[in-house]
Amino acid sequence: MLHLPVLAVVISLLGAYLIPLIYHFRRNLASVVAVGISGLALCFSAATAVYVSRYGAFSYLLGMWSIPWGIEVYVDRMSAFMMLVISSITFLVMLYAMEDVRHELTEAPRKWYWTLNLLLLASMMGVVMAGDLFNLFVFVEISSIAACGTISVKGDRRAVEATFRYLVLSTLGSGALLLSIALLYMVTGNLNMTYISGEIQKAAFLYPKNLYAALTFMVVGFGVKSALFPLHSWLPDAHSAAPAPSSAVLSGLVVKIYIFALFQVLSRVFGPVIAGIPVETVVLLMATMAVVLGSVLAMGQKELKRMLAYSTVAQVGYVFMGLALGADRAVAGGMMHILTHALMKSSLFLAAGSVLYKTGKKNITDLAGLGPRMPVTMGVFSLAAASMIGVPLLGGFVSKWYLALGATDAGKSFYALIIIVSSFLTALYFLPPVISAFFGKQPDDSVGKGIDEAPAVMLVPMVILSIALLGVGLFPSLVLGLLGYRG
Amino acid sequence: MGIIDILYDNFHYLVACLLFLIGFHTMLTHSNLIKKIMGMNIMDTAVFLLFISSGFVRGGKAPIVGPGTEGPYVNPIPSALILTGIVIAVSITAFALSLIVTLYKQYGTLDADKIAELRTKER
Amino acid sequence: MISQDIVFSWLPVLAVIVPLVGTLVIYMVEYRSWRLRNALSVVTAAITLIVVLDMYPAIRAGKIIEANFPRIIPPLGMSFRVDPLGFLLAVTTAFIWLMVTLYSLEYMSHEHHKNRYYPFLILTLSGCLGVVLTGDLFSLFVFFELMSLTAFVLVIHEETPEAMRAGFKYLVMTIVGSLALFFAIVVTYELAGTLKFSPNGFFFDTSLLSFLGFLGYIVGFGVKAGMVPLHVWLPDAHPVAPSPASALLSGLMIKTGAYGLLRVIYNVYGADLIQAMGWYNILIWAAAITIFLGSAVAIVQDDIKRRLAYSSIGQMGYILLGMGLFTQSALVGDIFHIFSHAFMKSTLFLCAGAIIYKTGLRKIKDLAGIGKKMPITMGAFTTAAMAMIGIPPLNGFISKWNLSLGALQAGKPFFVFLLLVSSLMNMIYYAPIIITAFMSGDHINDDHAEHETDKKRRLFGEVPPAMLIPMVILALGCLVFDLFPENLPLYLATLSARLLFR
Repeated sequence: MLHLPVLAVVISLLGAYLIPLIYHFRRNLASVVAVGISGLALCFSAATAVYVSRYGAFSYLLGMWSIPWGIEVYVDRMSAFMMLVISSITFLVMLYAMEDVRHELTEAPRKWYWTLNLLLLASMMGVVMAGDLFNLFVFVEISSIAACGTISVKGDRRAVEATFRYLVLSTLGSGALLLSIALLYMVTGNLNMTYISGEIQKAAFLYPKNLYAALTFMVVGFGVKSALFPLHSWLPDAHSAAPAPSSAVLSGLVVKIYIFALFQVLSRVFGPVIAGIPVETVVLLMATMAVVLGSVLAMGQKELKRMLAYSTVAQVGYVFMGLALGADRAVAGGMMHILTHALMKSSLFLAAGSVLYKTGKKNITDLAGLGPRMPVTMGVFSLAAASMIGVPLLGGFVSKWYLALGATDAGKSFYALIIIVSSFLTALYFLPPVISAFFGKQPDDSVGKGIDEAPAVMLVPMVILSIALLGVGLFPSLVLGLLGYRG
Repeated sequence: MGIIDILYDNFHYLVACLLFLIGFHTMLTHSNLIKKIMGMNIMDTAVFLLFISSGFVRGGKAPIVGPGTEGPYVNPIPSALILTGIVIAVSITAFALSLIVTLYKQYGTLDADKIAELRTKER
Repeated sequence: MISQDIVFSWLPVLAVIVPLVGTLVIYMVEYRSWRLRNALSVVTAAITLIVVLDMYPAIRAGKIIEANFPRIIPPLGMSFRVDPLGFLLAVTTAFIWLMVTLYSLEYMSHEHHKNRYYPFLILTLSGCLGVVLTGDLFSLFVFFELMSLTAFVLVIHEETPEAMRAGFKYLVMTIVGSLALFFAIVVTYELAGTLKFSPNGFFFDTSLLSFLGFLGYIVGFGVKAGMVPLHVWLPDAHPVAPSPASALLSGLMIKTGAYGLLRVIYNVYGADLIQAMGWYNILIWAAAITIFLGSAVAIVQDDIKRRLAYSSIGQMGYILLGMGLFTQSALVGDIFHIFSHAFMKSTLFLCAGAIIYKTGLRKIKDLAGIGKKMPITMGAFTTAAMAMIGIPPLNGFISKWNLSLGALQAGKPFFVFLLLVSSLMNMIYYAPIIITAFMSGDHINDDHAEHETDKKRRLFGEVPPAMLIPMVILALGCLVFDLFPENLPLYLATLSARLLFR
């Protein structure tokens, strides 16, 4: 039994409540402590990942209560991978936030930003390692509230309004989720995923309708939270109104946690009976719409962060597509895309944040001519954009490669074509900002005067993200090895 | 067994469904933000009711096991879980209400449609 | 059957790495000293050429050079494989690149953003060499992308609105092409489980998916090769680039598309499969349309660089045609034409650049009498243009001769006719330039007052030697190989053709 994964959650939770206290006595210390704690969580996750890749999946019984009475934490290769992704991206974004929130948030809510972020970190890690449905639900709820909090912490009316809509829809999703869990509990008498999965065959025979209802509610619940296409309406506002580091975490991680949770539930709980139910067809249909229409909608945006948010809608479609296709390579591609999209989207949002930090401008046209003035920021932006499009040697290429291969493996080459079409659309909306940043000129020369590169504390995390993107593109076997995929 | 009996036996589920629909309807059709939150709470309550009643055993006792007591007991797990659920619902309600206060301060109205109108004008 | 000894060598890797490292070094020193920057650019190109030439003994001995790095991006891995075809193109590329870099020193001296131009010039060399030296589709794709994306910076160098428009078109079409390639490579990998080139292809699959993959390759490489109807970016992008960059774009980079298709047809699908399924028909008919349209539209262009760009489209048609005829001599002509067109078109663009550098004139009717002021430039231009038309003993003649021979052997005399018509059209659009330049100099329109262009025309003389020498060397390249009894490029082309198609 390895305590580290649980400890990672526990220290983040404890840290979340310590921060206001520390802030009360030493203002400057709070952010440092928060970053330190997330760094510690990163170390624990890395150690867990090493452990899991060496000795395989393990389950951890909280307080040594044996299941089904106790609470089980289950860490397999995929959860370990997710933990690593979550903690590393959060750590980098928090490092960036040390400087950014000083500028973007007012004095009063600043301390809460750190609390909320640590809560979010803890709950996301909790979601991916939960072994029973109710704990999953609780962590999903904590992460929903914390995610809403990281948006509304900005305090302007746009952020508050976006948060409210996010909160309402997300609660709707939670209602559906809880209903689904209740239905599952009614027909199987268990909450532990392994136990339900043992009972589910019998339940499918006795109460098929309950099970279908549970499945539908589960997909809808997580679908709303992860912005699966027709249920995405909250996302663009919420992600674009948030402070830049929050947008990075929300777009890069939070939506994917719910996809991962849905995937876990579908494969671990519904696994034995899923074959007879066309759930993957429905999800694939929605994912296709997301991938194409999300990109089309992104093209129409004027504001940079809104464009990035719509792009998230499309990219979430890729992840859904990969996981729903079901072939080994498709799933590997979907999981890879969780990582690569987290890297790309967080670097894009952080770059957009740096531009906002330095110029106060948020429209796409305002990027014109910024390339030579902010070379690192715009370089990171361009690299991530290129990776989005799928330029080889970058992370995005690898995930698309596996997704396309997986689609043909599953005998559905059509989806490989969809990926191609969507990549093209992605290129159409990512190229103009990149080109105008490096080769364009501001209509008014005085506008760009005196703008230089963002401070180092903001640049370093962005550069690290870019290097990681390149690393994943060059040596994807490291990641695939962790996922247990070879070949 | 007639339909009436089935309905009678599953009376609590019926009520839960009804409540869920009422909540859902309130949440989606009312433009007043506070009413939306009320609808949200009614919906949550419906789910809680459904969950708790699934653990109810007709004629069962409270599950306090002491010397000499004998079953059948009511299943305690759903109640215990729903306690957590209620806490979550309360905290979400509190958060939502605090957001509504801020919205009212900033927009001067509680009407979701008017706020949406103001917001589109801003952009 | 030629024996194929495989030897390991770091040279192909080095050939790609040298310009990459060179780029970095240039980027680091360029803000300190522009002299060092210029010198380093030339030195890097020269070292690259030497490295490529070092492979000659092994190639001459009939060996194939390979270097595999399966650890990078497994399970695909990077690999390098140099056979006579790759070597011929690599030498051509490295040599012309060196000449163009030399030419750039003077040509670019009055341009802006030189600190952006040189690193990207050398970086593109790395991509371009990588394409022809790699041994599997994935590595080829990587370098293809590197080359295409970095060339964008060369295309839009002037940053005028029309350059930006052309550049955007170029970029969008490039991405269309690379996505089509991506799809095709995925299909190939799915069906065959490997991407390594092997003689006669490595998989035999006649399914619809396999055909879609082939279409993907045609689109992907066809975009780069300027195949009609995917050529739309080419006539805009090539003229707006600075002339040395146009020379590279038209002379070398579009050839990588043709090269890729050669590899796909002969080393991926295999000539047998393509012939058996009749898929080559798509290629040769597209090529026929490309030849005809490219040449025909070139006639009506009055901007000299635009005319050259359309001419490139027509000439790429020859190359696309040659690979779809499946005869030994057609293939020889095909490969030799890749080589000879590289020399001809880069000479032509450099000459056009020299004229623009001196006079700023781009309209053909304004060039009257320019041959007398700039005799060497126009001499080089004339040599290359005559090679283009196909006058013996210039190298254009040899490729056309072999191509026609191949078409006859393949039993498709229509294409011989097409080649003749196209040569005639080449004549129609090149001859007026030469005639105007040399013949009609002295009479300046008396009925008009002396206007701007006339004033300019009085001022110019010949361009500086730094520009002349590369032009002359390249123009001689169109001629010199064919005067010797042993025509080395032709020998290499024959060898490659024999290796590809048996």
